[in-house]
Amino acid sequence: MAQRIISGELIDEATLTLEDLARACSVEIDWVVERIESGLLADGSPYVASWRFTSRDLTRARRMCQLERDFEAAPELAALATDLIEENQRLRDRLRAAGLATD
Amino acid sequence: MEFKDYYQVLGVTKTATAEEIKKAYRKLARKFHPDVSKEPEAEQRMQEVNEAKAVLSDPEKRLAYDQLAQQYRSGQDFQPPPDWDSGFEFSGRGFEEADLGEFSDFFANLFGQGGRAGGGGRRYQMRGEDRHAKINIDLTDAFHGASRTITLQVPQVDPQGRVISREHSLSVRIPKGIKAGQHIRLSGQGSPGVGGGPAGDLYLEIHFTSDSRYRVEGRDVYQKVPVTPWEAALGASIETPTPSGVVKLKVPAGSQTGRRLRLKGRGIPGQEPGDLYVELEVVLPPADTDKARELYQTMAQELAFDPRQRKGG
Repeated sequence: MAQRIISGELIDEATLTLEDLARACSVEIDWVVERIESGLLADGSPYVASWRFTSRDLTRARRMCQLERDFEAAPELAALATDLIEENQRLRDRLRAAGLATD
Repeated sequence: MEFKDYYQVLGVTKTATAEEIKKAYRKLARKFHPDVSKEPEAEQRMQEVNEAKAVLSDPEKRLAYDQLAQQYRSGQDFQPPPDWDSGFEFSGRGFEEADLGEFSDFFANLFGQGGRAGGGGRRYQMRGEDRHAKINIDLTDAFHGASRTITLQVPQVDPQGRVISREHSLSVRIPKGIKAGQHIRLSGQGSPGVGGGPAGDLYLEIHFTSDSRYRVEGRDVYQKVPVTPWEAALGASIETPTPSGVVKLKVPAGSQTGRRLRLKGRGIPGQEPGDLYVELEVVLPPADTDKARELYQTMAQELAFDPRQRKGG
């Protein structure tokens, strides 16, 4: 059976709203706001209504949320572990790009 | 459907305290964490562990499960007896459809909305949960765009009121210029809403299938191109396949292995397209004929070349 091809929306630079991000992580909006206000999740703008988030923010928020839930971790600790995971991935990507695969 | 021994999954005894269950869960959550685990099938194991914890850390569900577990062994064929949970009232936050989608049929049958005797009857409207899935595409798909069919497991209530898992296939357009780690949002393709509420969205996280010919960093692409010693030494115009098709490339005279040539804007397309870095690799012809050996001998005699000679003596 011929299937209809669905076109999605590409989450590029600054596409998701605060509500989108909270929903995609299955958390309350306050969860996101608290983490932005304490500098754990990035957003440059001082105006909540204009907050927009990228694919990278989504991946980061989901990772932090999972760490907090799995280990009942303090948000700062989950963010720290996430920083290290991201740094590790960046270095691995650079090694791979330099032809020095790590795995 | 097989009976799952949740105590075995968490590695605790049937008399484990809530604290022991929590501790065992955290230990396994660390071991199978998708970002760090090198264990095979870590994702699947983590799903089992989450499921076991969801049941055993909830006193009501644990009690109901314990009563059922007296009659079954792990792996044994299992069908939930009718009204198996009668007499139990599962209070608190129920399991959302999204949870059910990520858990096994066994779990969904026991604790899904439809699996409960007297369950359901929710009157309020609620938007369905967003769901997430990872898909692998070829690097060339990011250059040209493509369509991919993906299959997801979706929980659904059958006519008997049980929660079953159904396969849901979607054909998705992969837009040109997508990068690894980027998401595509498919509106309304997430979990169905409750009480006529709208469905959630489905987020697809893009990854590239590993391809030994190319390495990718953001939108930049790196590839090795083999060249002959004379092309490298004398310079040449060569043709080489790249993810965007065959390109003509000028090899500068005096090139060595490892020389990197940048083809600006030939990386992954986008508003700011990436670059393609071509790394030359000089390949020596084998000395497997008299003629080839003779040519190498001529070079040895005629060229004063010692690659081990240090600069300045």
